[in-house]
Amino acid sequence: MRFVRVAAALLVCGVAAAQVGEKAGADSRRSAGYPSYQQANTLFVEKKFPEALNALDAALRLDPKLVPALTLKAKLAMALDRYDVARECLERAVAADPLSAYARFLYGFQFFKQNELPEAIQSLEKARQLDPKDPRPALYLGLAQESLGRTADALRSYREAIGLGEASGKLETDMLLSCSRLLLLLGDFEECGRLVARALKLDPKSRDAHFESARLRLKQGDGGGAAREGELALQFHTGDVSERQVHFLLIQAYQSSGREGDAARHAVALRALEQQVQK
Amino acid sequence: MPFARKVSIFAGVWASLAMAPAQIRFEEIARKAGLDFRLKNAAAGRFHQVELMLGGVAAFDFNNDGCMDLYFTNGATLPGLRKAGPEFYNRLYRNNCDGTFTDVTATAGVAGEGYSMAVATADFDNDGLCDIFVAGVNRNILYRNLGEGRFQDVTAKAGLSGVDARRGKMWSISAGWFDYDNDGWLDLFVSNYVEWDPAKEPACGPSDGPFYCHPNAYRGLPNQLFHNNRDGTFTDVSGISGIARHVGKGMGVAFADFDGDGFTDVFVANDSVRSFLFRNQGNGTFQEIGLEAGVALREDGNAIAGMGADFRDFDNDGLPDLVVSGMINDGFLLFRNLGKRSLFEDYAQRSGLRMGTRQLTGWSLGMYDFDNDGWRDLFFALSHFPALDRFIGRSSALANGVFRNVDGRRFEDVSAGAGADFQKAAMHHGAAFGDFDGDGRIDAVVTTLEGPVKYFHNITPDGGHWLAVKLRGKKSNRQGLGALVRVTLPDGRSLYGHATTSVGYASSSEPLVRFGLGSAKTVKRLEVRWPGGGTQEITGVPVDRIIEIEEAGGPPK
Repeated sequence: MRFVRVAAALLVCGVAAAQVGEKAGADSRRSAGYPSYQQANTLFVEKKFPEALNALDAALRLDPKLVPALTLKAKLAMALDRYDVARECLERAVAADPLSAYARFLYGFQFFKQNELPEAIQSLEKARQLDPKDPRPALYLGLAQESLGRTADALRSYREAIGLGEASGKLETDMLLSCSRLLLLLGDFEECGRLVARALKLDPKSRDAHFESARLRLKQGDGGGAAREGELALQFHTGDVSERQVHFLLIQAYQSSGREGDAARHAVALRALEQQVQK
Repeated sequence: MPFARKVSIFAGVWASLAMAPAQIRFEEIARKAGLDFRLKNAAAGRFHQVELMLGGVAAFDFNNDGCMDLYFTNGATLPGLRKAGPEFYNRLYRNNCDGTFTDVTATAGVAGEGYSMAVATADFDNDGLCDIFVAGVNRNILYRNLGEGRFQDVTAKAGLSGVDARRGKMWSISAGWFDYDNDGWLDLFVSNYVEWDPAKEPACGPSDGPFYCHPNAYRGLPNQLFHNNRDGTFTDVSGISGIARHVGKGMGVAFADFDGDGFTDVFVANDSVRSFLFRNQGNGTFQEIGLEAGVALREDGNAIAGMGADFRDFDNDGLPDLVVSGMINDGFLLFRNLGKRSLFEDYAQRSGLRMGTRQLTGWSLGMYDFDNDGWRDLFFALSHFPALDRFIGRSSALANGVFRNVDGRRFEDVSAGAGADFQKAAMHHGAAFGDFDGDGRIDAVVTTLEGPVKYFHNITPDGGHWLAVKLRGKKSNRQGLGALVRVTLPDGRSLYGHATTSVGYASSSEPLVRFGLGSAKTVKRLEVRWPGGGTQEITGVPVDRIIEIEEAGGPPK
């Protein structure tokens, strides 16, 4: 039962890509399984998932406690929706190296993805302690806190993630937009607008950022502006926001500005999308 | 004078004259009142989807003694779907008009069959006796009220078994009576959920903790519309009316003439797919315009797990608005009818309802003026899914919620002050609303999963004056369902309501049109627009009572 907002693309973009830059410790590099792990990592980045899995199994046969191999296998398992496998790998990883911030982060992340929020928060807090400069635990901590109604904590965590992202040069639009979405709900349109503007500056081709900009404008009664931003959002394809969401927003934007023909056009497009999915 | 559908010019005056707010309060008196019903879902660790969904209850007056009686639907064995013993019987309780109820199920003959979900009550044959329709997983039943406390199962003769030629018996989850063609006879709308077979229940959840599957694991179903042939039979017009063209995962159903064209429209809350707004085109067909109207999805374009719905005017502008309950982290929906181009605006964030309900899972609900201050408040029957505890780190059981309407602009959660009984958590599901003790304050009866029923007796002190309108149609359907009522107060303010029994989720509420009047001690003018278009006007109406209005002209059917 999914009841938290999950940014699916983050699994591929934010989390999966992170393994590439994840530094293996000296112990790992000396491990008998390390060459196979390296091969698996390369295959994973190339999206050759079955081959990557074979290489990881080979690595783990040689060294069952090889943490980078365990975390990579966990990510692969999550990408394949095998959270049971992911959890087992990550339990082994955090047991093998209790100080691995990345293993702990992924452990919390998989809890989050499985909607087990108290456990997610516990692990993400631990990950944050282990690597206070990494913005990712703070971001997911915020998402988990927001899902549990801890609004003030969530805002604090989002702002921390933004600060850490800036400091480390790893600021991503998701950090800004997670915060802006909550601010929109809280009615703080001003700060919401500032964050959306930063997201647009950071990635002018982000569908999510244009979509959030459109939502904000619609809330502020600017149907025309919302329509412009919505149409831009439709032109870009990166992000979590679906075409369906954008079409729905555009229907509202055009309706509110009296352009019923344009609204009808997007209603037709939305229904066509649904029919495609049904087929 | 046209039946007003414009923003009241008196809104400012209204706000300035509003009475001091009363704290809405309830006491829970089910046991004292003799209501010993227990809702049984037969859950046994197999996580069957149907276990989550039952609990419909109806408030209606089956014996015409002026006191609202109660009918409860109930589960059955799993996977057999049989009412194998009295613990699974649906139950009818007669209101003794003295604060107590008596279980009269056996003499009435309404224990039901199969795994029941929902109930819709109305006088379908215009004989002056209110009938019962039960919607269920494997059996739908129409009980005709024969009078003298007895009912007859007329499902087969009526053609309302719900068995579809192509799909067989669909899982029906809600139903409602309305007169879509204004011919004076009530038609039946049945909301269907998903294709489900107990023998093919998919397995979901983490390996170490199975859980109920997301609705995505099941195929959706179309809804059904049955036309009343005026002779005790019905014709399935789901296809020709356009209703069956739209496959959803239907939950609560609510009716209102949202565009003021004289024909009743239908809203269906869907679970995890977009909701439907069926605009009645006045020629026997419906157009689904949920997207165009802006009520199909949450404002961010995401579908919520829609559950209950009510289609009434919260801001006293004469335009029916929509409230929809959902699941944790959905935030409940509130759509304000703008009265132009069939458009609604998402008002949940601005009214405070979105953030105020984000941590709640709501089933049935009702928009009623619990403190009679002239603004309709919100009552939500709340509980998360059973076994959700481990995912959220707290109990799935919840206390119910009551939100006070502040001048038609925002909703304030006043649950904490609603009395000690109101704070008790349970697995609340169905809810029916009515004034069971005739004191002018709306009460709520709420079913709880695997638990006893709760009767929330409204004891709000210092509430306002009130008026309830009981309609009797002659050309129109006997109960006047669909009729619009406008009351004008001495200072010129107007309030609006319409007659419907289809309120919330899987449940049915009293058919009276109720108004909280605040400090107004009289009603200057009362206007009724009957479903057929006829209008009536009464002046100088006394308050704090139920008034009966019979439709003018023509012999009764």
